[in-house]
Amino acid sequence: MSARRAAGLAALALAAAAWVVFALLLWRSSRVPASLRLPKVDLGALFTAHQLARARSFERFIRIDWLLSELALLGVLAVYARRGARFARESAAGRTGTGLLLGMLGLGIVWLAQLPFGFAEVWWERRWGIGHESYAKWLLGGWLGLAGAFLFVCAALVIVMGLARVLGGRWWLVGGPVFVVLAALFTFVQPYLLGGTHPLRDRALLADAERFARAEGLPRIKIVVQDVHAETSSPNAEAVGLGPTRRVVLWDTLLDGRFTPREVRLVVAHELGHLSRNHLLKGLAWFALFAIPGAWVIARATRRRGGMAEPAAVPLALFVLVVLQLLALPLQVAISRHFEAEADWMALRTTRDPAAATGVFRKFTTVALEQPDPPDWAYLLLADHPTIEQRIGMAKAWRNLHPPPG
Amino acid sequence: MDEHPVRVTVTDDLQRNRWTVFFRLILAIPHFIWLALWGIAAFVAAFVNWLVTLVDGRSPEPLFDFLAAYIRYATHVYAYVLLAANPYPGFTGEPGYPVDVELGRPERQNRWKTGFRIVLAIPAIAVTGALVDGAPYSWNAQANGGGGNMSFRTAGTGVAVTVAFLAWFAILARGRMPRGFRDLVAFCLRYAAQTYAYVFVLTERYPDADPALPEAVEPAPPSPVRLTLEDDPRRSRLTVFFRLLLAIPHVVWLALWSIAAFFALIGMWVATVIAARPPDGLHGFLSSYLRYAIHVYAFVFLIGGPFPAFNGAPGTYPVDLELPGPEPQGRWGAFFRLVLAIPAFAVAGALGGVLFVSAVLAWFFSLVTAREPVGLQRLGAFALRYTAQTDAYAFLLTSRYPYSGPATRVADEQLALAE
Repeated sequence: MSARRAAGLAALALAAAAWVVFALLLWRSSRVPASLRLPKVDLGALFTAHQLARARSFERFIRIDWLLSELALLGVLAVYARRGARFARESAAGRTGTGLLLGMLGLGIVWLAQLPFGFAEVWWERRWGIGHESYAKWLLGGWLGLAGAFLFVCAALVIVMGLARVLGGRWWLVGGPVFVVLAALFTFVQPYLLGGTHPLRDRALLADAERFARAEGLPRIKIVVQDVHAETSSPNAEAVGLGPTRRVVLWDTLLDGRFTPREVRLVVAHELGHLSRNHLLKGLAWFALFAIPGAWVIARATRRRGGMAEPAAVPLALFVLVVLQLLALPLQVAISRHFEAEADWMALRTTRDPAAATGVFRKFTTVALEQPDPPDWAYLLLADHPTIEQRIGMAKAWRNLHPPPG
Repeated sequence: MDEHPVRVTVTDDLQRNRWTVFFRLILAIPHFIWLALWGIAAFVAAFVNWLVTLVDGRSPEPLFDFLAAYIRYATHVYAYVLLAANPYPGFTGEPGYPVDVELGRPERQNRWKTGFRIVLAIPAIAVTGALVDGAPYSWNAQANGGGGNMSFRTAGTGVAVTVAFLAWFAILARGRMPRGFRDLVAFCLRYAAQTYAYVFVLTERYPDADPALPEAVEPAPPSPVRLTLEDDPRRSRLTVFFRLLLAIPHVVWLALWSIAAFFALIGMWVATVIAARPPDGLHGFLSSYLRYAIHVYAFVFLIGGPFPAFNGAPGTYPVDLELPGPEPQGRWGAFFRLVLAIPAFAVAGALGGVLFVSAVLAWFFSLVTAREPVGLQRLGAFALRYTAQTDAYAFLLTSRYPYSGPATRVADEQLALAE
């Protein structure tokens, strides 16, 4: 082994060790009490057999559809990685311009390949009364979404190819951090990009939200409602923004009377929990931990195609990126579950209302058809929240730790 | 390629009588009434002709002659109304009018093509609409809960009608029809006559959209702003399917460039009015901008195949724009340039409808055959050439007014490919 190679391997080992240390520190910065043991939850007592069967049946199709869609994605991109460079003859735009064309065509092919699976999902959700979007509107939305994706991939390729022309194979050293900065910028402005929102008008809920925010050490956080009832009846909420742009977004399907005020309060407290525990900022840190080595892998993988300065490398880079995302998926959903569990705990601590928590999680199964106990493989690959069983178990554990007086 | 059996001949001398031009629409009323009555009979005759041709494989001579006379008469009337000819036309469709139609004799026709004639004719009817009456290029889309609901409405004025409107003023002022206008209307009428003949099952030859084909139309006078078309009509289906979305980075870049071009144009205008000559730097900048815009339009409207470069450099795209260098210009002409350009903008707007319709049709055709229809490509290139000449005039890149006559310089290779 040459000295240079040995030094390279040592640097790689050092970087890997640093990655693990940072990842562990980051992981340990969010947690529920270490002593917490989730008690067993008797699903049969909470749900009827019919409700469980419905949720199982609904989610099984969605999962199979996702699997097939991912297989199609990988297959199509593998072929495109091999043959996509041929489309360079359709360009008169020089190296970078041709790279943009190949990047956009790659996304376009992926969109076409996934279209049947997306269609199947819309059909399935309509069939079960979860989705209400018309096929035409869904298709138009997909087309507009693809336009946005084209713009994004163009911006990303301009950065990567520009850096690769200047820095050669070391573009990732600058490119990775640049994408982290861009992700931070996007997180900051995301609240302004959400369409169809209006301020929450429920005064009681607003007062509760203000109280919860104070209790969780937050300044006054804006609560907005997003109108989604035309597309779906599924309930949801999210915390978005950074610093002064932070806000909680409640889907209007959460406020249509199916959830009690106590249950909605719990959801608000959960989202405030995300903000008080800086989950969006930590999410960016995790993104940096994935993006920088990911950029390095792409730079290494595309060396045989002349590096990222050459348009011929773009189809291969797309394929490598998707493979990396798939490989990182179990870890990513585990991180997300970790955040969600902490937010659940924060919500219980703030509202001190385990009954409301049990009620809202239970309705996620009866209303949104979320399977309370998904199969292990689905849990590992797809579950970005704890299972309903785990979430109800946490509410039960909180009650055990804080028994009602008397 | 064989000559099209439906030809328009132009023997008009461009001279016009101001009085008959002033009252042209009123004078044409008897012809409108007679044309409508004859049209009813022609519709019935065309249906019978379709049935007979479907069975026999050939149009019966009496029906052919009757329908050919109707097409000839309609062309005479439209040429008169649209100011492409001066004399009051006869009511029988007799040959010999200054803008006339020549039709061959009945020929054997394929029964399949005859059977589906009206469906096959839809693209030609759409192009005819854009050329003569108005382009259906405005969409109204709305969605409701139960499903998508799209309506389609006609908007915009056809090229021939727009040109005739402008020509009316020009003739009243000068007593003469501008040659470019006359030739453009003649081209529109030629295409319409070929569409009628196709729909009436007089020929199975599809209407030819290539504007450079009419034999009677003289070559265009030399212009310092020229569009060169050296594109291979073969197309990648994938880049055709995603054409609009692929153009997004160019649209963004063009929009940014347009902001700079706007201020450059103001500077150019002030400098040219003062110095009677555009400054070299601004002229070069606006030339690059216009060339880039034409590259992008060519890509979006499927006239060009490849993805264009972002710099507007000459020689980088198969649909390219040749522009003159800075040259002395009259101060008054420069001062009133935008006002003077209004008629050209009106014609360019009408040709925009043609560009849109031809692009939509070419999109479907290219997706199926992986080839751009050469006629539509050249029609689009013609519309683009006129747009480029208009913009170059408005941007003070040249003092030459745009020429609306249909003639496009086509590279020899392109012609070879087409054949």
